[in-house]
Amino acid sequence: MSAEESNTDNLPDQELPETPTPADTELGQTRMEVAYGAGDGDDDAQAIVARKASMGVLYEQIYRPWNGELGPRWVRNYAIFRHHVYGIFRGKGHRYYNPFVRLSILVIFLTSLTPIAMIFLSVTISGGEGSDWLNRMWGVNRYNLWGQVLGYFPRNLCMWPLLTALVVGGMISDDRKNGTSAIYFSRPVTRADYTAMKYLSSAVVLGFVIVFSYMLYYTSAIVFNGEGWAYLIDTLPIFLGGLLAGILLVITYTSIGMALSSVSQSRFFAAIGFLAIIFGTKVVALMIELIFETTVFYILSPYDSLAHLGQWLVGIPANYEHSLALSIISILLYNAASIGLLVTRVRSLEVTRE
Amino acid sequence: MSTKTTPAVLLEKCSKWYGQVIGINDVSLAIDGGVTGILGPNGAGKSTLFKLLMGRLKPSSGNVRLFGVDPWVSTSPYRRVGYVAETEKLYDWMTGHDFVSTLARLHGMTREEASDRASHVLDFVGLSDVQNKEIGKYSKGMRQRVKIAHALVHDPDLIILDEPLHGCDPIARTSIMSVIRDLGSQGKTVLVSSHILDEIERITEQIVILHNGRLLALGNLHAIRDLLDKHPHRILIRTENPRKLAESFVPEDPVYGVRFAEDGALEVLTNDLSAAHEVLPRVIVDSGLKVTSIENPDDNLEALLGYLVGDAS
Repeated sequence: MSAEESNTDNLPDQELPETPTPADTELGQTRMEVAYGAGDGDDDAQAIVARKASMGVLYEQIYRPWNGELGPRWVRNYAIFRHHVYGIFRGKGHRYYNPFVRLSILVIFLTSLTPIAMIFLSVTISGGEGSDWLNRMWGVNRYNLWGQVLGYFPRNLCMWPLLTALVVGGMISDDRKNGTSAIYFSRPVTRADYTAMKYLSSAVVLGFVIVFSYMLYYTSAIVFNGEGWAYLIDTLPIFLGGLLAGILLVITYTSIGMALSSVSQSRFFAAIGFLAIIFGTKVVALMIELIFETTVFYILSPYDSLAHLGQWLVGIPANYEHSLALSIISILLYNAASIGLLVTRVRSLEVTRE
Repeated sequence: MSTKTTPAVLLEKCSKWYGQVIGINDVSLAIDGGVTGILGPNGAGKSTLFKLLMGRLKPSSGNVRLFGVDPWVSTSPYRRVGYVAETEKLYDWMTGHDFVSTLARLHGMTREEASDRASHVLDFVGLSDVQNKEIGKYSKGMRQRVKIAHALVHDPDLIILDEPLHGCDPIARTSIMSVIRDLGSQGKTVLVSSHILDEIERITEQIVILHNGRLLALGNLHAIRDLLDKHPHRILIRTENPRKLAESFVPEDPVYGVRFAEDGALEVLTNDLSAAHEVLPRVIVDSGLKVTSIENPDDNLEALLGYLVGDAS
């Protein structure tokens, strides 16, 4: 207990001095004098001011210069990168991701690992017909490696686009909406670095789910089945083909998603726009195929162009009649157009009324 | 610190047009060291000037240099610049400490350096007790101070504050003004914009006045006022008998006229304020009248801006 509180508590009410009126200017000073003047310096000295309110504040402001060396460009860029990626795992002090988005990413990632569980199941019940069926359905082969990244409908036409829409949708549109890009542009961060780090952050998150799950699938099949070097040599080229297809998928989806995010002031619009491009182009191409019996319009669909290329990379027969070159050109054009739009839009961010 | 040969801020015949609308028009100025108030009514071009300095806008003509470098071309000067935008948004979900240290890392500091420095600047602006509270829960004054903290975190040589006192309560204003004065006294170049004249007057006497995009005046507030000889200075005297005192003043040389204000106060009109103040005590003593107050209503920023803007328009 402080001396002042102690003094206050010990004082009977009738001994309290009258509260000065506003007319008594220098209220605090007057009462301080009373308090300090009441004692004679002995141990028995006792202030008679019964106030707990502070009489004044000494506000000490000391600015200490910083003499350190600021880090180079890559340190600043890494700060942007980690700000966006760490936010997925740990909200505090990093980019904010809605809990629904984080939960969705977790669910999609876990779902993409289901083939591993099926391989494990086939190993544990080895010997029976069920085991063979499970191994045929989920084990490592050309079709399943392709399918892990590009084949199965629930995964590739639902999960990956949804994942991209959730992760990439607000990456730049949030800054446009909230004006927070100014935070970057009033620092020694170039627009190219800002764009590149945002792009890389998005690609890494998508890659973690899409490519990393693919790698886990292949690795666990080898481990669970106890495969040797011969198996590895046989399947590695196929695996690498699928890996390249997965990386191309991540790059293409990130490019399109970032471009839409950069032209939008709403993450919702960017996300819906991305889903509309993926699903819309596929539906249009499908209708044209049904009516005119040609698959060439599948080059409008980023997914189908990637699937076509992926089939060639892992060495399985193509589902498409048109030339592979057209699909490759389609992928290149989608990426070029998206990155061009992205760069143009970011260049004009925060540059008002130009 | 910037060298004498390279001022922190340099504009050479700089103009910026938004189509038919003038942002700033043929402005040339160099500023280095101390606190400088950028003054002008809304739409005068203050924010345009700052956006040009921060590379957000490209000048339509002329040159802009920060420490000798064109900010439109290179972001390198920003290592030495701290900027507080008027309407800058913050990451409301972050704590004050996390926010400032995150931005410190954008300048290239290590995690430890950023954390230590964030704690210091938050303490400097008086937010140490709330540094672990989310910014979304801060008051307006706290938000303004956290913006100043993030602008200071890398110890810049040039600090640009666009309306830093906007929306703050009196206590926050006093605190922020104190911070600005302290920074200026340490030799940093501080540019502060405001359209509230009293605020700038309490921070600095070094001012730049803009109006309709034009540079109207630059320099010391009182020196600028002294240059405006064609405008009369007034001395407002409150006394028990203003008419009698007026009779005493009329024969004096520095005084060219007297008049009576609505509240009965005597207005002494002069073109030479110093000379008028020299004769003032003698005249009052000789008159034998009791004087309750003497004011110089024209020797303040509001009057100065009024004259300048009046001329410009």
